[in-house]
Amino acid sequence: MSLPEFHSIGKALPRKEDYRLLTGHGCYIDDLEVPGALHACFVRSPHAHARILAFDVKLALAMPGVVAVVTGEDLAQWTTRARMAPPIEGLQPMEMDTLPIDKVRFQGDPVACVIATDRYLAEDAMEQVRVDYEPLPAVTDMWQALDPTAPCVDETLSSNLVSHQHAVHGDPKGRQRDAHRVVERTFAMHRQTHLPIETRGCIAIWDEGRSHLTFHVGTQVPHPYRTTLAGRLRLSESQVTVISQDVGGGFGQKIVLYREELTVAAMARHLKRPIRWREDRLENLLSSSQAREDFCRTRAAVDAQGRLLSLELEILEDFGAYSFYPGNYLARVVAMILTGPYKVQDYSYDVRVVLSNKVGNGPMRAPMAITSWLMEGTLDAVARELELDPLEVRRINMLHAHELPYRMATGEVLADITPRETLEAAVAAIGYQAFRTRQQEARARGVYLGLGICTVVESTTYGSQFYKAAGIAGSGHEAAWLRIEPTGVVNASVGLGATGQGYETSLAHAVAEGLGVSTDRVRIYLGHTDIAPYGMGSRGARGGTAGGGTLYLCAQEAQDKVLSIAGKLLGIAELNALRLRDSRVEQMIDGAWVATTVSLADVARIAYLDPTHLPDGVSPGLEFHKTYDPPPMTYSNSTHVCEIEVDAATGAIHFGRYVVAEDCGTVLSPVVVEGQQHGAIAMGLSGTLFEHVVYDETGQNLSGSLADYLLATADDLPHIEILSMHTPNRATPGGIKGMAEGGVMGAIGALTNAVSDALSCLGVEVNRQPLTPMYLRGLIRQAAHSSTKTAS
Amino acid sequence: MSAMDQQMITLTVNGENREVSVAPRKLLVDVLREDCRLTGTHVGCEHGVCGACTVQVDGRPLRACLTYAIQMEGHEVLTIESVAANGKLSPLQQALHEEHGLQCGFCTPGIVMTFEAFLRQNPAPTEDEVREALSGNLCRCTGYQNIVKAILKAATQIRLDSGYVAS
Repeated sequence: MSLPEFHSIGKALPRKEDYRLLTGHGCYIDDLEVPGALHACFVRSPHAHARILAFDVKLALAMPGVVAVVTGEDLAQWTTRARMAPPIEGLQPMEMDTLPIDKVRFQGDPVACVIATDRYLAEDAMEQVRVDYEPLPAVTDMWQALDPTAPCVDETLSSNLVSHQHAVHGDPKGRQRDAHRVVERTFAMHRQTHLPIETRGCIAIWDEGRSHLTFHVGTQVPHPYRTTLAGRLRLSESQVTVISQDVGGGFGQKIVLYREELTVAAMARHLKRPIRWREDRLENLLSSSQAREDFCRTRAAVDAQGRLLSLELEILEDFGAYSFYPGNYLARVVAMILTGPYKVQDYSYDVRVVLSNKVGNGPMRAPMAITSWLMEGTLDAVARELELDPLEVRRINMLHAHELPYRMATGEVLADITPRETLEAAVAAIGYQAFRTRQQEARARGVYLGLGICTVVESTTYGSQFYKAAGIAGSGHEAAWLRIEPTGVVNASVGLGATGQGYETSLAHAVAEGLGVSTDRVRIYLGHTDIAPYGMGSRGARGGTAGGGTLYLCAQEAQDKVLSIAGKLLGIAELNALRLRDSRVEQMIDGAWVATTVSLADVARIAYLDPTHLPDGVSPGLEFHKTYDPPPMTYSNSTHVCEIEVDAATGAIHFGRYVVAEDCGTVLSPVVVEGQQHGAIAMGLSGTLFEHVVYDETGQNLSGSLADYLLATADDLPHIEILSMHTPNRATPGGIKGMAEGGVMGAIGALTNAVSDALSCLGVEVNRQPLTPMYLRGLIRQAAHSSTKTAS
Repeated sequence: MSAMDQQMITLTVNGENREVSVAPRKLLVDVLREDCRLTGTHVGCEHGVCGACTVQVDGRPLRACLTYAIQMEGHEVLTIESVAANGKLSPLQQALHEEHGLQCGFCTPGIVMTFEAFLRQNPAPTEDEVREALSGNLCRCTGYQNIVKAILKAATQIRLDSGYVAS
């Protein structure tokens, strides 16, 4: 497939947002000056699980600058409860108070809010709020949660098993009976958190005269957020404006309406004074959303060549204490797309999600992050048990181009993907055979080199059909408007919420392409519910296809109208012979495009200021609106290959080369896409190596600072080599596919597989993360010990 | 006198003397942001790890979240707002723009302030030296690769501009 010819899409231009961010003139939540604003601060539970017996707020109220101290009972008068109860089989409905009234469910659970004239004073007063608790035994691991005698995290539920889904496609058990070998492995991924460098925060401004709330918050989904916020305050959507300007990272943490934010909004309305809140890093690590923490088992039935006959998957996920999302929301995608680019129709999954006394989970960049490690780690295990080359095991199972579109066992349809191409390109670039030779030579010297391969099929854009089939509330469509102003400059907007992705740049490429102007004539407006159209916001990897696609289509309609007006001015009836390019109308003459005398500014002037000269039936102005629903699902694909050395004496991992071949279809801005590739891979590697939210057995969070919760720094990460491929998706505008999460999936799998490859000669295979030196050293020591024992 | 009583102090920020009334316990970063209205210096962790709040004090990078404003009397404080004061990006800022060395931008001012100082000290750094120095600034978006590339590019540009000759 060849790329459609583009003029603006795919151009490598630097970003439009950079100037303000480089010079300190960005506008994040805390940069907004609001005269007279009060400051909120939250009193948080020191216990993982406890009944709330009584509050004593007298001392706090008497502190300097304190205006109010409120608890869950107060807020219940002014707000409604949250209810999470989509009609999904096997999912228990859950409800949540604005602030807990009866009991707390994790360390850091907010129980009271102090409002004062200054943040320092609010924090002083927060320390004087007395709360009497009756501590309860806590649920701190997922197996304990399943025990029928375990404490109940949510007493309205029949058990801690909040969600359970099971499906069998074909006859996986039957195929196991015929198999040459059944290879079983486990995979454990630890709890992590999103860690945007800007923590959460908000400012609520209540206008008593107009009965209107202006709410500043960093959010990925401005309109759905507004709908929820208005509903829980018993206000209409026209009484609430949500504004999200510059946001210092989201990664999935800035989607839901948090309880703290709702509290601040309710208090601003109640006190009729503006209130602001910014969480500190301790609060972010203790009480903002967290993610991952899965234990998985795969069972692969294979023939003697390593060909997959059937696959079984079990997932057990620790979801934390509250349901900010449906319990099945994260794990179900793993089960749905596990088999990725590999042919296997006999497949079953069993997905259990349990509650625990930890922070409630939310989607973190690649909520299905573990998927590719599960699949590729399973194939590596097959290769090891059968003494086959892991690359050959992949080749023998992988889909060929002629087998596309391919309906996976779960019913998902893969189309326009190129896993063989990315696999072969990546292994060729790294020099696979030469590496194997070097690996052997190094082993002879006691040096342990490893190479990990991970092919990713990334679900990117979820259309409405997907949501409806999955029983999930909400929609996958997106909306855009575009206005060509009387001077010919272009303003456009879409319902996405930017958190650093560079939308003002990449979306300008989509508009410029569809309309026929240069990107510097286009300005993109985002993150304001009174300005942007009602869209579904940014989540998954939908920005390019849903956001960019809608704007592209909207801009094409705008060009049609511009050309119809230009046709009249030029006296040309055949509009197909006209196009707009760089704001100039061009005409096809003898097979070549030739500039005419008419510019976009000429057309705009007439459309706005001289509408009597418009063609018959053409309305004044140049304003456009468009909605678009993407296909049920689009997929991108990539192959990651990572070379490492494990220091057997210390357990430390040193990176060699890191190569990724990625096919994410048509890219709006290659600059932005490359940045997303780097960032996603870094997040995957950082999580695999370092990041770990640690709870002790009593439910105390031991990772409350950035000295405990470690993020990869510049000297921890490898240089990433990217091979870009661009096979368009034939079902989307311009062939856009979406991307930005697959890098996380691929990095996790490639690095972990590389470590197992390096240590395979010692009989060591890793099956849990993070890959700390202590963990690896322990495995190496254990292996040496058991081989000594065997020898003696 | 307690840590909460206001005191008048004089800060020299971006070459300008400013009289501010602050409590002794108020952090430099909060005074810069709230009292001096210089909001380019960001607060990312308030415990000295992330580096987002880095400013220069007497030409050296310093965490503004680990310093009380009252300690800064008699010192020269420079914030991100001083770097392209005339509207023209510095070679480092320009390189970060050209090499896509920033995404959400929240950590960026701290990185600019760290490396404006670093490149004065070490105008011809190796990639390893840049990565080591950059390890004091956390970035969640970029994976650091383009930041490193931009810093090396800026170093080259600065050397060209200054007629630098390796010693």
